[in-house]
Amino acid sequence: MPRAFILTGKQVQFYRVSGLSVASEIELPGLIAGTAEPAPQVTIRRGAVPEHLPHAAAAGPTWQIAGKQFLLRIPDIARFLLNSGSEIVVEPESDATAADVPIFILGTVFGILLHQREQIVLHASAVRVNGRAVLFCGSSGAGKSTLAAALAQRGYPLVTDDICTLTLDAAGAPLVHSDGRQLKLWAQAIDRLDLAQQRGERVRQSLEKFYVAPGEVFTEPLALGAVYALRETRPPHKPGIDRPNVVDAALLLRGNAYQPLLVRRLGQKANYFHAATTIANVAGIFFLTRALDFAKMAEVIAMLEAHWLDLRLMERAA
Amino acid sequence: MTRTIWLASYPKSGNTWFRMLVANLSAKDGKPVDINDLPERGGIASARGPFDYLTLIDSGLLTHDEIDCLRPRVYEELARGALDDEYDKPQDAPPVRFAKVHDAYTRTPKGEPLLAGARGAQGAIVIVRDPRDVAPSLANHHRCSIDEAITFMSDRHGLYDAKQLRQKLPRWSGHVESWLDQTDIPVHLIRYEDMLADTLGTFRGALEFAGRPARDEAIRRAVAFTDFAELRRQEQEKGFSETPRRPGGQFFRRGVAGAWRDELSAEQVARIEAAHAEMMRRLGYELASAMPKCEPMVRHPEVPPPYPPPHAGEGRVGASKGDSPGAPAASFEARLWRAPQDDADEINRSQVPLI
Repeated sequence: MPRAFILTGKQVQFYRVSGLSVASEIELPGLIAGTAEPAPQVTIRRGAVPEHLPHAAAAGPTWQIAGKQFLLRIPDIARFLLNSGSEIVVEPESDATAADVPIFILGTVFGILLHQREQIVLHASAVRVNGRAVLFCGSSGAGKSTLAAALAQRGYPLVTDDICTLTLDAAGAPLVHSDGRQLKLWAQAIDRLDLAQQRGERVRQSLEKFYVAPGEVFTEPLALGAVYALRETRPPHKPGIDRPNVVDAALLLRGNAYQPLLVRRLGQKANYFHAATTIANVAGIFFLTRALDFAKMAEVIAMLEAHWLDLRLMERAA
Repeated sequence: MTRTIWLASYPKSGNTWFRMLVANLSAKDGKPVDINDLPERGGIASARGPFDYLTLIDSGLLTHDEIDCLRPRVYEELARGALDDEYDKPQDAPPVRFAKVHDAYTRTPKGEPLLAGARGAQGAIVIVRDPRDVAPSLANHHRCSIDEAITFMSDRHGLYDAKQLRQKLPRWSGHVESWLDQTDIPVHLIRYEDMLADTLGTFRGALEFAGRPARDEAIRRAVAFTDFAELRRQEQEKGFSETPRRPGGQFFRRGVAGAWRDELSAEQVARIEAAHAEMMRRLGYELASAMPKCEPMVRHPEVPPPYPPPHAGEGRVGASKGDSPGAPAASFEARLWRAPQDDADEINRSQVPLI
């Protein structure tokens, strides 16, 4: 991994993002502050970004890959050039959209960067249960953030929202990195969960989706407790927690990668398979099937707590 | 390469039935395909899954208009086979990808066809149904009163937009017209009523249009396996993933033509006919209420009629054939109106196979 480009002479802020040290010219709301030393692993700066990459080897509706370069274009908002997993260059497409850039950096763009760095990155929100991270995976709209917010209210602090990076420690055990990022919730969820007091700015000026401050912020990486893939109760799926066999669990994990297309396009399938077998062994990969209904939230949490007792993630009351 | 054919319809017009027919062309072991396990992977055009998967962007962070500007790129990519390499064996990929779509045929804010015109699909099978039968079915599906459903069907700004990508449904007749009068791709028009009266012939004709070859025997079997009673039996026995989410909700409700005669009041019939007379005439749906004569339809001069003239068997339509009268009127009492897609019953599963 090449050394990060050193930013000089401009307003630079330091953060921890998904376990990486970051220096950024662009303010990223809500993240834990980092330090200038040691040198950051990732830099984010403003600059000219081309509309196309010459000699792109692969391309999609919004992106192109050429060697170690990855170009993402969100039309009318911004273009992002990612170099070797260590530098992000941002060019907003208009002055009006500059304020919309951070939310895309924190999600889509950082997701791509983590894939460039060959890390395991899941589409998941996570909470802390008795010192371990419990992950809830699912596609957009599956209810990850809402469930994490409800669990945070029950005293299980938020670890991450929407994007979750796993690394393996020296002994090969998976670790989850928190970065203090805020929840993103629709106004309706904020209302139903009574979180108006923690409601922050809109994530974009044009959306009814808001940042919600996590109750507690912490930085130490956590061992993994369990991974749940969220599923709605619809025939043929009945409410409950099921454990798929190890082959299905491996497919499930890969399918719940953040940007699963990139797992394929960047040749990471074997990495994910390895991670899945490790996770299935040390923590467990499950389906959590429940109705998408705020009124059922207490039942869902009770079901999870019972499962955590079974898994010995939680102690049984004497 | 796999051809893409849109299955375009206003909601509650027979789209799901058609997809079940297609799925049952490949039925195995002499058994109907499980209604919850259709092997086709085309999905609905407005599903968020393929959009997010191919653009790498969370569509929940984009505005509807921003999404619309990107949608043509996604359909081009899908038509080029972006998901085809997900099949374990290339020969498993079907010769035609039938893709359901409820969106009207509209243009993006930048003026492009939302569905990418000829780059998004080789053609469209447009399925229409008598709007007088659509209204009670829509009311059942969205748990609203029939009057509210009729109002929705007359709303120029009708939208489906809760969980899926926003779909514009600019009036029932505007929707049908948008598909029949677009000139980007060839259209094959079928009427729900003709599918009922002559399932085999109508289905065979649509498959020929789509370029999806099938042996007569397979077509016959698919027709038998998607008999309304069979679909209803499966729904009652094990549920259906698209059934409205409420106790007693049914997706496969009656499956007949002309049920409006015992489900709608004269006033409701008159409201629908007043709003949609022109298109109803064009499609061969005989009006029950006295209506002033319309001007003859004017078509785009260079374009041949995109659909056959109204069928000879017009009398079939609305003839109460096969009706099971007696659905209690009470079951359609006004209920709390929820936005039509509040429950987003139609498939919005990611449609993206696990990789």
